[in-house]
Amino acid sequence: MAFNLDSKIPSGPLETKWKDYKDHMKRVNPANKRKFTVIVVGTGLAGGSAAATLAELGYNVLSFCIQDSPRRAHSIAAQGGINAAKNYPNDGDSVYNLFYDTIKGGDYRAREANVYRLAEVSNNIIDQMVAQGVPFAREYGGYLDNRSFGGAQVSRTFYARGQTGQQLLLGAYSGMMKMVAKGKIKQFNRREMMDLVVVNGKARGIIVRNLITGELERYAADAVLLCTGGYGNVFYLSTNAQVSNGSAAWRCHKRGAGFANPCYTQIHPTCIPVHGDYQSKLTLMSESLRNDGRVWVPKKENETRKPSDIPDEDRDYYLERVYPSFGNLAPRDVSSRQAKFRCDEGKGVGSTKRAVYLDFRDAIKRDGKSTIEGKYGNLFEMYERITADDPYTTPMMIYPAVHYTMGGLWVDYNLQSTIPGLHVLGEANFSDHGANRLGASALMQGLADGYFVIPATLSHYLASTPLEKVTIEDNAFKDAEQAVMLQTSKILGIKGQKTVSDIHKELGHVMWEKVGMSRNEAGLKEAINEIRKIREEFWHNVNVPGDTGNFNLELHKATRVADYLELGELMALDALERQESCGGHFREEYQTPDNEAKRDDENFTHAAVWEYTGQNSSPIRHKEELVFENVQLATRSYK
Amino acid sequence: MASTENMALNLKIWRQKNCSSEGKLVDYRVENVSPEQSFLEMIDVLNEQLVRKGEDPIAFDHDCREGICGMCSMVIDGKAHGGFKNTTTCQVHMRLYKDGDTIVIEPFRASAFPVIKDLTVDRTSIDKVMAAGGYVSANTGNAPDGNAIPIPKPVADEAMDAAACIGCGACVASCPNGSGMLFMSAKISQLALLPQGKPEAPRRALNMVYTHDSLGFGNCSTHGECEATCPKGISIEHISRTNREYVKAAFTYHEKKNAGGAS
Amino acid sequence: MMTSAVNHYFGSSIGRKQLVAVSGLLLCGFLVSHLLGNLLLLAGPDAFNLYSYKLFALGPLLYVIEAVLALIFLVHMYLAVRITVENKRAAGKYAVKKRTGRGATLMSVTMPYTGLVLLVFLILHLINLKFGTMYTTTVDGIEMRDIYKTTMEYFANPVSVAWYCVAMFCAAFHTAHGFSSAFHTIGWNHPKYYGKIKIIGYLYAILIGGGFAFVSVWAYLRGV
Repeated sequence: MAFNLDSKIPSGPLETKWKDYKDHMKRVNPANKRKFTVIVVGTGLAGGSAAATLAELGYNVLSFCIQDSPRRAHSIAAQGGINAAKNYPNDGDSVYNLFYDTIKGGDYRAREANVYRLAEVSNNIIDQMVAQGVPFAREYGGYLDNRSFGGAQVSRTFYARGQTGQQLLLGAYSGMMKMVAKGKIKQFNRREMMDLVVVNGKARGIIVRNLITGELERYAADAVLLCTGGYGNVFYLSTNAQVSNGSAAWRCHKRGAGFANPCYTQIHPTCIPVHGDYQSKLTLMSESLRNDGRVWVPKKENETRKPSDIPDEDRDYYLERVYPSFGNLAPRDVSSRQAKFRCDEGKGVGSTKRAVYLDFRDAIKRDGKSTIEGKYGNLFEMYERITADDPYTTPMMIYPAVHYTMGGLWVDYNLQSTIPGLHVLGEANFSDHGANRLGASALMQGLADGYFVIPATLSHYLASTPLEKVTIEDNAFKDAEQAVMLQTSKILGIKGQKTVSDIHKELGHVMWEKVGMSRNEAGLKEAINEIRKIREEFWHNVNVPGDTGNFNLELHKATRVADYLELGELMALDALERQESCGGHFREEYQTPDNEAKRDDENFTHAAVWEYTGQNSSPIRHKEELVFENVQLATRSYK
Repeated sequence: MASTENMALNLKIWRQKNCSSEGKLVDYRVENVSPEQSFLEMIDVLNEQLVRKGEDPIAFDHDCREGICGMCSMVIDGKAHGGFKNTTTCQVHMRLYKDGDTIVIEPFRASAFPVIKDLTVDRTSIDKVMAAGGYVSANTGNAPDGNAIPIPKPVADEAMDAAACIGCGACVASCPNGSGMLFMSAKISQLALLPQGKPEAPRRALNMVYTHDSLGFGNCSTHGECEATCPKGISIEHISRTNREYVKAAFTYHEKKNAGGAS
Repeated sequence: MMTSAVNHYFGSSIGRKQLVAVSGLLLCGFLVSHLLGNLLLLAGPDAFNLYSYKLFALGPLLYVIEAVLALIFLVHMYLAVRITVENKRAAGKYAVKKRTGRGATLMSVTMPYTGLVLLVFLILHLINLKFGTMYTTTVDGIEMRDIYKTTMEYFANPVSVAWYCVAMFCAAFHTAHGFSSAFHTIGWNHPKYYGKIKIIGYLYAILIGGGFAFVSVWAYLRGV
């Protein structure tokens, strides 16, 4: 089967593509909208805003979330802010600039038209969120405040204390709740999507597990929106929440949705370092801290002095040294790699020597403690709670950690996957961030997709596609449910020696060491072999107690890990096949003399889109060539 | 009190099969707990031990593990989230305990929060209160420019203080009256402070209070336990503002029947 | 969902709480006037009896005032009982006692109990004094009830004084929380003023509880 990878980018100049699209798209009239049902899986920024907006338009929305309330989706944990090209600070920002920075930040591996549209609607997002009562930070004059984030030379980031993601999510959630009250959204909590149901080649429903009762449930609709976030938890340790997982996307992939660029993983430079093998997650310290914090390591290997006793001449402020024009605000991939290089040189700090300092001494001296407290107070408190160190008096210790996955299900300009009717929004798709995402852009993308893009493109799909009547009694539903049941009973029947977490940790270790911040051919080949072995072990030696008929947390974890064990292999394979370095994908074989990522534009200016061909056959790698008409491909430089 | 050595702890944990069965406290012992470990990681380790023995692990809610999603709960030694200032259970670290401690762990309890299993409770009542009015009816596409209405910084800041609510329900669990006034008032207060929320402030106050009451939450007696327990430090001042908003609405708000337009 | 807004008010938790608060504050006001009256005991029998006489001279108006006062008491008590029952029902039942005390005070958690003591006290107080032994006396040629004598006789009994002091301690305890809480409930918890309101509440409680108790002890020591 050949994939149809037509990106459906509208013709015409970049600046008018989206407007032209809306001018000419097909519409569903208001009276007919109520005849359509749309399934939205996930209630983060993308899912929440999509569900609310589609319901406002008149569609019947069935919304599913894995937690006990839609308000808990992991978008809530985003701290720093959201970008928009408002140019309120008068520093020369524009839609084009935001577009350009995002394309460049993504190391020229994203689709121009999608990114331009994202930059275009960014301003509407701020307006919409203010209207919904999001208490963004303001100046004394009453106007919105901005700060700057990595990879940009303007201040375009809007924020609500250190809780921007939370406030935006609560904005989207409140919109949802309004429509729940009106009966236009039916909300299903504590449900995990187990499979996609495809009827006549179109996505028409889902199978979910009711996590409380353990029962499988079937839901039918005219279209399915997948807003289930990223798959960073393949690495076991990441900044993601515990139930954030890749299963929904992976199961759609197995039903025919192309998986694009699975190897593009973002390693965030400022996280609290790992300690102990019981650790369950890594906590992010917002990138906004790099506005005022200075990153350094001691110049000497095996430095034993306390950080405060090390004089400036013995400190290496390496980001400022290597990237004088961006300094501490170099993009995430670049900053993470530099931290790794310093630790590899033996200059790491802390008990594990896998950490660098993020120091606020100079900022406190310059602006006073209360100013710094006003900006970052809650982050400092959180840091102190976790580490028992006071960042006002001693520098923070940070180290990179898996944070975000730029890869995801392939979508066209309409956010539709290779399965008609299956639309993918937010982190779950691959579309806007290329090989590296800039800070404060994930919130922007989730909301752009949900509030402004999908309402238009879904209407176009529904108005232009013949949709047969489908019920949950159809065979496709029964078969899909049966397949899930079979898998479940197989897992429950193993009753081996290892716990799900044991196996997940083993997978995570392989992924981090060999498919992590830097990769090479030999390591990736080893990784593929090791992942296969771990997968084998899982299916013969995992121990999941209990049965299906209740709230079985181990079973829930097990089905996710089963999918990670397949997805992890694809990530390694994709990394192996992409013989260049770009953004978050760093192949040691392809680097410049000063250790920067070296792209191969001639051979790899494309998105790799993988097709699933079955349990025992190799996936097929397709290409969507990326055409750059408005941006000159150049070596990314932040020096 | 902070420990630096690994420790052994005695746990008494509430086990309950499902909402209709009886529950009881069960004794467990965990060894070799590192002070660097988080409270939930300590329970993870215990659960791993239970799974290895083929026993049912302890069900507890948790997700982001960085104190923001509001999913984690637990009443630890009689105090919601363990009783440490501005801290959720997931942010409690074992260095706060010492070797040999006995720790009692129960679910968040209130008649509005029925137990689902073990330490997991059903908090959908919070969503129901929110659905009754915890929003600004601003459909997508309506919005004027974000800077069209200046909002004084102190007002925006105070609204943010209220908006910081994570909807965990610790206020309800710790209130001697099982009242949901703090989380409800955080939303009413936030939106009453902001100009965007004002047009429907009276309607919001009336509907949210009505729903809150009908879901079996108790009344506020100004004990202030909620405020002391709240992991986001939300002040009971917001309850007072809600009282003010509510009385104003009750005696002045009038909506013509069949006026058409918004529904 | 939205019934008539005013009905809504009286059916709601906040409406009921505010009625308890307002009636409580009115009762606080009544206690002030009552204490001022009691202090006239110190000025001797004539002054006290004359004060009582003048009150009764209001005639039907006094009945109206008494009826209003009784109504305030009844509203306060009925709603307080109702709220207490609701709250017991709403609160979680913990296997191990929940630890309060980080916000709640002994004053706040004992409100229903101190309230109950005050109810019992009120009934006995009416029986013993208002409807107590009727003596008559003549002041300035006018015959009137000698309520001074009734009062002093009552306080001559150390058991009465002890009980009275206990009740007044409860009154102080009750109002120490109730006073500021009422302001909060009405909606007057503002960060600029609430601390001061709390202090005023405590001072009020001490003055009222202490004032009444002082008068009773003074009467006991003075003898009939």
